[in-house]
Amino acid sequence: MSEQPASYDLENPSEPNFYKAQKGLKSWLFTVDHKRLGVMYLASVILFFFVAGFLAIALRTELLTPAQDFVSASTYNQLFTLHGAIMTFLFIIPATPGALGNFLLPLMLGAKDVAFPRLNLLSFWIYSAAAVMLLCTLVLGGLDTGWTFYTPYSTSTGTAAGLAALGVFVAGFSSILTGLNFVVTVHRMRAPGQTWDRMPLFVWAIYATAVIQILATPVLAITVLLVFIERFLGIGIFDPAMGGDPVLFQHFFWFYSHPAVYIMILPGFGIISEILTVHSRKHVFGYKAIALSSVAIAIISFLVWGHHLFVSGQSELVGVIFSFLTFAVAVPTAIKVFSWVATLYGGSIVYNTPMWYGLMFLWTFTIGGVTGLYLSTISVDVHLHDTYFVVAHFHYVMMGGLVIAFIGGVFHWWPKITGRFYHEASGKLGALLVFIGFNVTFGTQFFLGHQGMPRRYFAYLPEYTTMHQISTVGSYILASGLLIAGFSLAMAFRKSAPKAGSNPWGAVSLEWKTSSPPIEHNFHDTPHVTGSPYDFPEIDKSGRTH
Amino acid sequence: MSAQAYLKGKEIENPVEVHHHVAPVSLYVIILMALFGLTGLTYAVSFANLGPLSLPVAMAVAALKASLVVAFFMHLKDDDRYNLFVFLGTLIFIGIFFGFTLFDMQARDALNDEQRTFVRAEDERNAGNSPAVGISNDPARLAAWEAKHGSHDEGAEGEHAEGAEGEHAEGDKAEGEH
Amino acid sequence: MSDSTHAAHTDGEHNPYVAHHFDNMGQQAGAAKLGMWLFLATELLMFSGLFLAYFICRMWYPDMVLGAHEYLSKTAGGINTCVLLFSSWTMAMAVRSAQVGKPGSKEDAAKIKKYLLLTLLCAGVFLVVKYFEYSAKFEHGMLPGKFYTAHLHGYEIEGLPHIFFGIYFIMTGLHGVHVLVGMGIMIWIYLRASRGEFSHQNYAGVENTGLYWHLVDLVWIFLFPLLYLVK
Ligand code: HEM
Ligand SMILES: [Cu+2]
Repeated sequence: MSEQPASYDLENPSEPNFYKAQKGLKSWLFTVDHKRLGVMYLASVILFFFVAGFLAIALRTELLTPAQDFVSASTYNQLFTLHGAIMTFLFIIPATPGALGNFLLPLMLGAKDVAFPRLNLLSFWIYSAAAVMLLCTLVLGGLDTGWTFYTPYSTSTGTAAGLAALGVFVAGFSSILTGLNFVVTVHRMRAPGQTWDRMPLFVWAIYATAVIQILATPVLAITVLLVFIERFLGIGIFDPAMGGDPVLFQHFFWFYSHPAVYIMILPGFGIISEILTVHSRKHVFGYKAIALSSVAIAIISFLVWGHHLFVSGQSELVGVIFSFLTFAVAVPTAIKVFSWVATLYGGSIVYNTPMWYGLMFLWTFTIGGVTGLYLSTISVDVHLHDTYFVVAHFHYVMMGGLVIAFIGGVFHWWPKITGRFYHEASGKLGALLVFIGFNVTFGTQFFLGHQGMPRRYFAYLPEYTTMHQISTVGSYILASGLLIAGFSLAMAFRKSAPKAGSNPWGAVSLEWKTSSPPIEHNFHDTPHVTGSPYDFPEIDKSGRTH
Repeated sequence: MSAQAYLKGKEIENPVEVHHHVAPVSLYVIILMALFGLTGLTYAVSFANLGPLSLPVAMAVAALKASLVVAFFMHLKDDDRYNLFVFLGTLIFIGIFFGFTLFDMQARDALNDEQRTFVRAEDERNAGNSPAVGISNDPARLAAWEAKHGSHDEGAEGEHAEGAEGEHAEGDKAEGEH
Repeated sequence: MSDSTHAAHTDGEHNPYVAHHFDNMGQQAGAAKLGMWLFLATELLMFSGLFLAYFICRMWYPDMVLGAHEYLSKTAGGINTCVLLFSSWTMAMAVRSAQVGKPGSKEDAAKIKKYLLLTLLCAGVFLVVKYFEYSAKFEHGMLPGKFYTAHLHGYEIEGLPHIFFGIYFIMTGLHGVHVLVGMGIMIWIYLRASRGEFSHQNYAGVENTGLYWHLVDLVWIFLFPLLYLVK
């Protein structure tokens, strides 16, 4: 809840919105406005999502038959590597913080901008440079190491692994700068009355994400730098032929990359907390539990990386410890899921497109999380490691978790970003197809993996044919669902699309207390926060324990 | 807006939230002298033969020097406590990184001694092959070097190096390609 | 030690150095400093990877590391340590001069500039010493990895010294890059000081440069004993 001086008319603001405040290409490329940067990130990540998605469809098409049909073995390797690398480093990691975080964080806090606007712009440029470098590998020899850059293959392959490592190094800096900016913004830029326990849960999630970005990404930077140096100088840290140890590389890599999976999913948790409360018109259940479990997850995520090394030659004792700690991550995660379900319970649920994605998330993410527990059991992982079971697991958490939450978030905040409504019917149709397509594509892969189908192969034994074919058909359904979702969003650009108004969902958090799209300096008058962001006006206060 | 100021969501009376502490010059000089003194100490100690103690001692002195710099030159002693929290927190996470990795690398070595699950250059040497050092890992570059500087009378070592390369033929082949 | 609150400070609206999106100088300087500390955290974590590589190399090949480190010059390392420590002091003095400087005062600006110049000089000396050290290593073929030729020059170091020299060059090289970047920043701050920008009203720029420079010193405080001294 917050107070605004009533004098200012949000629906017909006297100031132009941030799109119109300045004109010309330069005003975009050199902007320091967090909203414009958010929009530019949004456009970029959607672009890379479609590029990498296209590669994925190519992969699935190759897998229609057991034999090798369309692409050669080495092309297949390059396809899945580029798919994975673009999805992780150019889409998922920057997606929510870069696009939605940039756009919403200062608005939700009631600030005029992030703490370091110019750094924010620099971060976007660095991200663009990294994108160019990673895409250049396509023409400079390809990349076939897998997104994980495991040594000694990555230090000896003839493909452009060096350039790719540098690209990831550069992308890391963009991520670090964004995280740093957000932490300072949350600490220093909150509006009057915006205390820690009144921050929207999305802010908490982005904050926890930013902490991981700061703590983990530097280690990725030094890891890929060492791979790069090992490749050209052969110093012998990671390369066994020179006296090094590849398992050491895996420790370095996963010290970053396990926390990185939480860089990917935590912002998704934040989006879901917003969607589920606003569209069920109910105060969120367990505000503190959801907020603090984000921080708990951020910390525990640094204690579990060894679960990726169970069969790599890591010592058994360390393996057992890591296995135990991995189970511990499930606790704060489950706290969140239970709280969301309890939030829905008894709420006045509005079944619109964002809510559909929210409900979908609960289904897919839970499957992803629970199968993670199978994998963290060493004796089971010995069989499932490097099979399609792992592929299915991480797609359920990354695609079924983050991507679905992200799309839901884009629908939810689309009226704020564009000032107009998306097209509801096609939005729902898209959501339905995404849900069906996703589960058909990746649900089958659990069975494939359980039966022993290894990952990263362009051909397979005939026994697996049916399952693979079902999975491929599923991926086509999924792709069509995504295209329809894109169509529904694009409908908001029509001249005749209905205007959204400043607060179409009747939400309470501050981003809805300014015009849609917001004016250049966010708020005409500095807002004063006086209560929780989830106290919806129609809630009977007497009946609620807070 | 009035002259009223807000920080971290709260109204504050005095907008100067960062009190700045101006330390006297004499303090800075004392710290500098202490740092020089400690440097002399590590230097001197490095000539004494402390055996296995030498690493802990050197690290302890370095940690002391570092804390002086951080506390006084970097003002953490009197700064906003959150900055101290950031610094110490970072050290904890570095500790996690070091702890698990060193622990596993050590345990992994023990595992290796027991089960011979993987081979490292060290083992080559135990088996009587002298390991391929530096440029000897790269036959093409070695040949170029020898063409330029003339062959050295280190035949014995060269032969051994070749033996070691045989074992790593795969790696070497790939490396030779680029 | 005195806690000082200057009168000019209390009125944010009259401080021309406050950016539009901040309410007052306290908020702006606090944000800048917190940002810097977070950045230093990332620097520490990045270097920590190299330190870990060093410790693990030491654990794998203790005799090799002991043999190889004898070839590094303790004297050069020692001189550089003292130079850097002294530069940390001059930097701290530069920050202090800004903290007590009066806005618009030429003498106070000159003081900041003097200490910055001294720091720059130290950084230069450090790099020159490093240059001589590096060229000696190059001459003897004590180079990283596949470029290592010292054994062909007749230096018998047991084991795989190319790993040690690899780590040596990466650690000191990355540190050297930080010194260079630091020099660049100091020149920039020097120019701003010449324009009379810094005083007790506005010194976050000098202070953050100082923090960065002390970090460069911190890293060296550990590099020196580990690479040059430890048995
Ligand atoms: C309850 C939480 C989770 C648990 C217990 C868990 C557990 C695991 C385990 C044990 C593995 C290793 C499997 C193997 O390689 O044999 C794994 C792989 C993976 N997980 Fe999770 N996970 C969880 C959540 C997540 C989340 C939230 C994400 C991403 C958003 C994620 C992404 C991944 C990825 C990408 C891999 C495969 C990495 C690769 O080899 O390429 N996981 N997970
Ligand atoms: Cu993991």
